[in-house]
Amino acid sequence: MYNEVYTKSKIRLSYRNVMKWANSLPKNTLIKKKTEAEDLFRKIGITFSVYNNYDASERLLPFDLFPRVITNNEWGKISKGVIQRSLAINAFLHDIYHSGEIMKTKIIPRHLIYGNPAYEIKMVGFKVPNNIYSPIIGTDIIRTNENKFLILEDNCRTPSGVSYMIENREIMMRMFPELFQTMKIEPVENYPNHLLDTLAKLKPKNCSDKPNIVILTPGPLNSAYYEHSFLANMMGIELVQGSDLYVEKNITYMKTTRGKEKVDIIYRRIDDHYIDPITFDNNSLIGVPGLFDSYKSGNINICSAPGSGIADDKAIYTFLPEIIKFYLSEDPILENVKTYKCYDSKDRSYVLSNLKNLVVKEVHGSGGHGMLIGNDASKQKLDLFKRKIKSNPSNFIAQPILSLSSVPIFSKNSLSPRHVDLRPYCLISNKKITLVSGALTRVALKENSLVVNSSQGGGVKDTWILAE
Amino acid sequence: MKIKIKHETNYTFTSEVPKLIQSVKLYPSKCRNQEITSWSIKTSKGSIQESHQDALGHKIYNIFNSNLKGSQKITSSGIVNTKDMLGIVKGLQEKVNPECFLRQTNLTLPCRKILKLSKNLARKSNDTIMFCHQINEIVSKSIKYVSGSTSVSTSAKKSIEQGKGVCQDFAHILISLARENSLPARYINGFLIEDLNAQDHTTHAWTEIYIKDLGWVAFDPSHNKCIDEKYVRISCGLDFLDASTIKGIKTNYSGSENLEVKVSISNCQ
Amino acid sequence: MLSKTAENLYWAARYIERADSIARLLEVAYRIHLIPNATTSYNNEWDSILQTLRIKEEYLEKNKVIKKEKIEFFLLFDLENQSSIFNCINRARENAKMVRTAITLEVWDAINITYHDLETYSKKKYNSKDLPEIIDLVKKQVNLIRGTILNTQLVNDSYDFLSLGTHFERADFTARIIDVKYFILLPNSELIGKDYDNFQWSLLLRAVSSFRGFKWAYGNSDIGYYKIIDFLILNMMCPRSLFYSIEKIDHHLKRLKKFYKKKSKAEELANTLHANFNKLTVNNILDSGLHEFLERFIIDLSEIYGQLESKYFLGAEK
Repeated sequence: MYNEVYTKSKIRLSYRNVMKWANSLPKNTLIKKKTEAEDLFRKIGITFSVYNNYDASERLLPFDLFPRVITNNEWGKISKGVIQRSLAINAFLHDIYHSGEIMKTKIIPRHLIYGNPAYEIKMVGFKVPNNIYSPIIGTDIIRTNENKFLILEDNCRTPSGVSYMIENREIMMRMFPELFQTMKIEPVENYPNHLLDTLAKLKPKNCSDKPNIVILTPGPLNSAYYEHSFLANMMGIELVQGSDLYVEKNITYMKTTRGKEKVDIIYRRIDDHYIDPITFDNNSLIGVPGLFDSYKSGNINICSAPGSGIADDKAIYTFLPEIIKFYLSEDPILENVKTYKCYDSKDRSYVLSNLKNLVVKEVHGSGGHGMLIGNDASKQKLDLFKRKIKSNPSNFIAQPILSLSSVPIFSKNSLSPRHVDLRPYCLISNKKITLVSGALTRVALKENSLVVNSSQGGGVKDTWILAE
Repeated sequence: MKIKIKHETNYTFTSEVPKLIQSVKLYPSKCRNQEITSWSIKTSKGSIQESHQDALGHKIYNIFNSNLKGSQKITSSGIVNTKDMLGIVKGLQEKVNPECFLRQTNLTLPCRKILKLSKNLARKSNDTIMFCHQINEIVSKSIKYVSGSTSVSTSAKKSIEQGKGVCQDFAHILISLARENSLPARYINGFLIEDLNAQDHTTHAWTEIYIKDLGWVAFDPSHNKCIDEKYVRISCGLDFLDASTIKGIKTNYSGSENLEVKVSISNCQ
Repeated sequence: MLSKTAENLYWAARYIERADSIARLLEVAYRIHLIPNATTSYNNEWDSILQTLRIKEEYLEKNKVIKKEKIEFFLLFDLENQSSIFNCINRARENAKMVRTAITLEVWDAINITYHDLETYSKKKYNSKDLPEIIDLVKKQVNLIRGTILNTQLVNDSYDFLSLGTHFERADFTARIIDVKYFILLPNSELIGKDYDNFQWSLLLRAVSSFRGFKWAYGNSDIGYYKIIDFLILNMMCPRSLFYSIEKIDHHLKRLKKFYKKKSKAEELANTLHANFNKLTVNNILDSGLHEFLERFIIDLSEIYGQLESKYFLGAEK
């Protein structure tokens, strides 16, 4: 297990100040500070709704006070890799919805695109503003040793968690201002401004000079509702639900106390299938009837574009290195995790006989659901997955069980290491790409656990990118 | 053949509809099999607007209504000049890769009974055309045509189990079977002049199968043949629902609606 | 501002005001409970509380008998009672949560803390001994929320919708509580003697937290039904009088009209109602009948609300 604080049992330079600070904190101060942090979170209202827990529908996302530190050097590589990947993803999306150059090669099996429900037929041939399909990409990165950062997953639709990146910093700065004086840490608070700039550049065909931008949320029951309202607040734009919008003569309006107001750009935080009950799921109550036709008439832009989800499909993930080479003629800066495709017979037989050493994921699953961690599973569960893989091989991929790097958390009596991942948020509006020097660090709070998802007992940490 | 068509859809609402938006795919497909001499789409209430041409080449119109009382009639009418092209559909204005139509949907999901239909057919790799004719014929005999025997939500599976259906069900079964045999297939809505003297006409539905080197070829499993100059093509999709010609959403409406469709078709010459 | 935002602000303020009103009703009941041999009036008081809140049937359906502890719990924490204080605060918070962009952190904080404090109580088994403590908490928190609204909110349209919520609820509540108790305000009632009257009237004044205010306004003489009607309906100095509320409603609707530069039917109606109050005397009210007057007032109020709703809350969709 790689502990990020140490190199050959010596504390790394980047963590020296933090460790000194952590070890000097009297225990009761720590407990006090922890409560203080929790109070702050609760006050600001950062809560995380859990659907299947109706009694306490709001709980705090656990926040650990020990910061994660990433050196400027390390960040240099990560950011280049993330930007490269985000460019390739958008080029790929544009291509497969137009001439499909990549499909003329044998790089990706055709059925993985054309047979994929995430490939939206209705988007074929439609020109999206600036050719940007996915303007906000959250890339999940894991670290396996001092020099190795690997991409675990791309999130091209509506990556969440960025509000924690900003709030975690806010709270750390309020509580431990002295630490920020001893270290030079890149600020993250400008993210909402960059997001607003990015969205504002993605104007639809018919749009005034100053676009009216809104965030579309499914509503307060959604687990990320706090984030939706946080971002709206920080950007100074309206947070709307489907019922606040309506379409008249293919123009989308919002209902305001002054009357109707045209909306130009929607940053939607709801899934493709719910955005418009006429075009998609006609049972959707959270969407806006007529929105899709309004979009295709060039009267509004929807970010991310419907059909972007194909790019973060786990079946496509395996081809990302080739996709980068194809569109950018560059070698990938950050590698993928080795991935076995179960529809490939050779890979499949390897997977079936090595299940105990693999993580198996459902191709369309997310949030750590529908996942098997081989070394941690009962015989029954292993057998179940064997059957599942055999009956529907294209629905699964498998990866070796990697030991994620660890960073200490303040546990009851001492500092103790826990596994972490990293999610930076990349903003793409055209040729201009913005990557705020910061990220979300998710941490598995259970000892030895590799699952960092907030829906399954994960917590968060403030992440410091050092300025030099 | 010059065909004159008038298609009327009449909605009657039991109470006032606060807001109604409809997306309409009723403009005949632009292709070499049919030349559109004249066509218009009108609504008795609300405003109608041409929106865009979608990925499959449909000209989409939208109708917007507020506080709609009583009934609404959508009239789609005009003259189309058709040609018999042996079922081969040419010059469609679409951009979608045919392989997308290998996806099964809830309405076309195969079952054992459907799979059995083509079990004994030897498929020679070089003669897909023959194979398509064969499955078209098998499907045409797989169920009995009984009007009113199924509803709009009947799946291929359910229809073959009950042994009867209407053109929609024949089309779904053929789509299901073709896709299972790795042939892209899709659902087509349109009109057919069967009997010029008939008083009542209805809309019709059939299937297009994609055959390499030929392109989309239209089979009518209800009549066990390929389409000819008596067919007018209106819309296509993965299944009945996806291809449907009028989709509407009413906001804040608690009443019910009644739907009546009237079609009149005549030969101009 | 989004129409929905305006609606949420309005209801957040309305529910806060309602929680406050219920707390004061409970306080009055608690006070009677401390007076020896007051069982009858005590029961009467419960009865009128339930009537004022229009939840008597609901309560009886669930609890069969009117019993102190049960009724207290019903009014404080019962989740099935739409008008329990906890439900009111919860709804206020849900509404506030929807408009986090339109309220300040301080306002949110005050509402959120109120909710969490009450939640802590609601989780424990209810003990009647805690009642004064809980009532104090609610009153204190409500005042805190009001204070933060006053001190930290921009005085823009958000502020107007918040104020409208407060004053619609207050006007409605005052009208209803007078109506429920109107029999004690009738002159020449043979049923009741003078001391009893005095006692009843003081309860009514306390229920709208105006007991001391009344004394200051009318001197330390007898209470008297005439003065009470004047105080609770027509006196501009009393912050819970109908006149005061309607003046505020009119004021904020006028501000909205100016702010949006658009006429509104709600403002016209409120203006008329307000103007009528200017000319009104206690004798006018008694001549037309107190009950009839109040009934009319509640109808007028809901008509104004109807116009407000369709203009600002339902959006331009018509």
